[in-house]
Amino acid sequence: MENKRKYVIPGDVITTGPYRPEQNVILDGNKIISTAIGISEIYDDSIKVIPLTGKYIPKIDDLVIGKVVSHTSLSWELDINSCYVGFLPAQDVFGRDFSAHADELSSKLKSGDLVAARIANFDRTRDPLVTIADRDLGKIDSGHLVKISPSKVPRLIGKRGTMIQTIEMATGAAITIGQNGWVVVSCETPEGLLKAKKAIQMVDEKAHVANLTDQVKEMLESKGES
Amino acid sequence: MTSTSVIDELKKSQILELLEQGKRVDGRALDEPRKLMIEINAIPKANGSARVRLGDSEVICGVKIQPDRPFPDMGDKGIFICTAELLPLSHPSVETGPPGPDVIELARVVDRGIRESHMIDLSQLVIAKNKSVVGVFADNVVVDYDGNLFDACAYATTAAILSSKMPKWEMKDDVPTLVEGGESSVPVTTIPVSVTMGKIGNYIIVDPNGDEWDSMDARITITTDSNGNICALQKGGIGGFTFDEVIKCGEISVKVGSKIREKLKQAKEGGQ
Amino acid sequence: MGGRDTTLVLLDENGIRCDGRKVDEPRRIMIKAGGLKNADGSAYIEFGDNKIIVGVFGPRDVHPKHMSNTDTGILRVRYHMEPFSVTERKNPAPSRREIEISKVIKEALEPAVMLDKFPRTAVDVFIEVLQADGGTRCAALSAASVALADAGIPMRDMVAACAAGKAADTIILDVNNEEDQAGQADMPIGYMPSLEKITLLQLDGVLTPAEYKKCVETGIHGCKIVYELQKKALTEKYFGNGEK
Repeated sequence: MENKRKYVIPGDVITTGPYRPEQNVILDGNKIISTAIGISEIYDDSIKVIPLTGKYIPKIDDLVIGKVVSHTSLSWELDINSCYVGFLPAQDVFGRDFSAHADELSSKLKSGDLVAARIANFDRTRDPLVTIADRDLGKIDSGHLVKISPSKVPRLIGKRGTMIQTIEMATGAAITIGQNGWVVVSCETPEGLLKAKKAIQMVDEKAHVANLTDQVKEMLESKGES
Repeated sequence: MTSTSVIDELKKSQILELLEQGKRVDGRALDEPRKLMIEINAIPKANGSARVRLGDSEVICGVKIQPDRPFPDMGDKGIFICTAELLPLSHPSVETGPPGPDVIELARVVDRGIRESHMIDLSQLVIAKNKSVVGVFADNVVVDYDGNLFDACAYATTAAILSSKMPKWEMKDDVPTLVEGGESSVPVTTIPVSVTMGKIGNYIIVDPNGDEWDSMDARITITTDSNGNICALQKGGIGGFTFDEVIKCGEISVKVGSKIREKLKQAKEGGQ
Repeated sequence: MGGRDTTLVLLDENGIRCDGRKVDEPRRIMIKAGGLKNADGSAYIEFGDNKIIVGVFGPRDVHPKHMSNTDTGILRVRYHMEPFSVTERKNPAPSRREIEISKVIKEALEPAVMLDKFPRTAVDVFIEVLQADGGTRCAALSAASVALADAGIPMRDMVAACAAGKAADTIILDVNNEEDQAGQADMPIGYMPSLEKITLLQLDGVLTPAEYKKCVETGIHGCKIVYELQKKALTEKYFGNGEK
């Protein structure tokens, strides 16, 4: 119990006693049990587990990277790497005077296109509504898509963006992180691209390690090897 | 296989851009297959088996050998049957239930490569003419998908047959009866090897991975035997090939096939 | 390989079973978390000569739509044997036995998974038996729990499973194929150790009330052994060897 942070898996009894169960734990009698693989944290009287695996659950205002998978005459469907399909209505792109007769959806976005989008509405009773009508949102025309576990996105961003800034500065890459674990990397130089991708994958694999920032820095500063 | 999922457009254009520079997304040469790993006897309780990983496509083939009735018009020949199944855990787009056209084509192309090369000497698999013969059943299951299942299944089937121990039966009171200690290898006359090539733009690439598979216009699978002869072929996809391309693919299949044949032989030796 | 059932000694005078085990000793068990590239979660188990892979997808869209539930996610389980997994080549079509086992495994996992946070979705568990050797349902259930945890499906506890049974008038742990064929009883048990709940229980064979009690105790003891190996498999994948 000296160490407050513990590696846990589902069923592990984190502790017993009068604690308040928060995310990813349940109370069974007086036992606090983890429901996820992750790292448990005890703060004052509350206990939670930060998960290391699992699907993306949409949250309003989240920035996500989506892939167009299909469209009807009124809307597009986006794969947002979630339990739910993202729903992008035609009005969002064509404006309020959209006409299902005159406007052809595939002229703007077609199957396979990647977009940066924001979750506009979501309440679990229907598929999440997304929007691309804002600055910095919309179709992505260049870059490489890298996929990581959505649960590791906070680690990739780092405290106040430190991790991502470290990677961008060392490689010269521009990185857009979707909260859904999809990341778009653009870089002028092939070497920078390769290193940035490697750093992102490293965060994905070693998210549980305490001195991860140092390890990533070390890799970025190393010369030559791919 | 399958029209899997939608490939992202950025990756698709990158694949073509790289090909224009003579490169591929995973760094391979155009005529270079992916890393091939063959584990013989992965299923010890089967008569023969192999687990094959071609890049990130993984297939397990199990061979069962048992007495059967011959086909009516082929009483002097044993039976060879080859199947393939995409297990639903191999890819999110795979559904349970009866196989679709893609999977049926897969099984038939693999079967044809073995059959038409006359790999197994079926005339040696007769227990009693017109009454009872030996049946060799090769069942492939795809465990992980990353493109080109034709070759992954073909190599798994070939390796599993090569590793098989065939029991011996004799007719006793008109019933095929197992002879203890009569095990032998399956009578093999040649080692067929298929090589599948994809066409993207005007480029021919060997052993397309999943992303390349989703980007290609047409494909061709050519099976060659140990003598370097072409013995089975299947063109697929909605695009077409020129005469010159078809001839070139034939040459590639012989050249690449001979290297893979050595790997199959080595795997067999290693498994003994 | 001359031994046939007529000559098989299930338990010798020293209390050693036909495969060399003691009465309370399980077969060799190896569990690995992960391994499949495309599945959201996966696991591989070798339990004696059983070899089983499990892949999990989800939570994800439900097809066909009418199966979906607006209040909760649903769990779907398919237990399937490869044609080459058994002595006599198995017909690839699903058998009544496979359908029943799919159902009991699903119901054994239901109390563990928490899908109320994912309405209108499905979690699919695909179990593939590559080689069968008696006790596949317990091995499959144990591997399925690991694959579900690997996929990040919230779980109250993992379900560990092991069979107990009776052969040569003795209660034994982890019934193998020979003991299943020639023995007197086979009782597969699925158990959530932290919550102390039995979620799978079947019995083939006759037991006295006293033997029944002993059999359940023995099976639970086996489940706890399996549970430790499940935890080890996940710990190895997610935290490497650097425990804590």
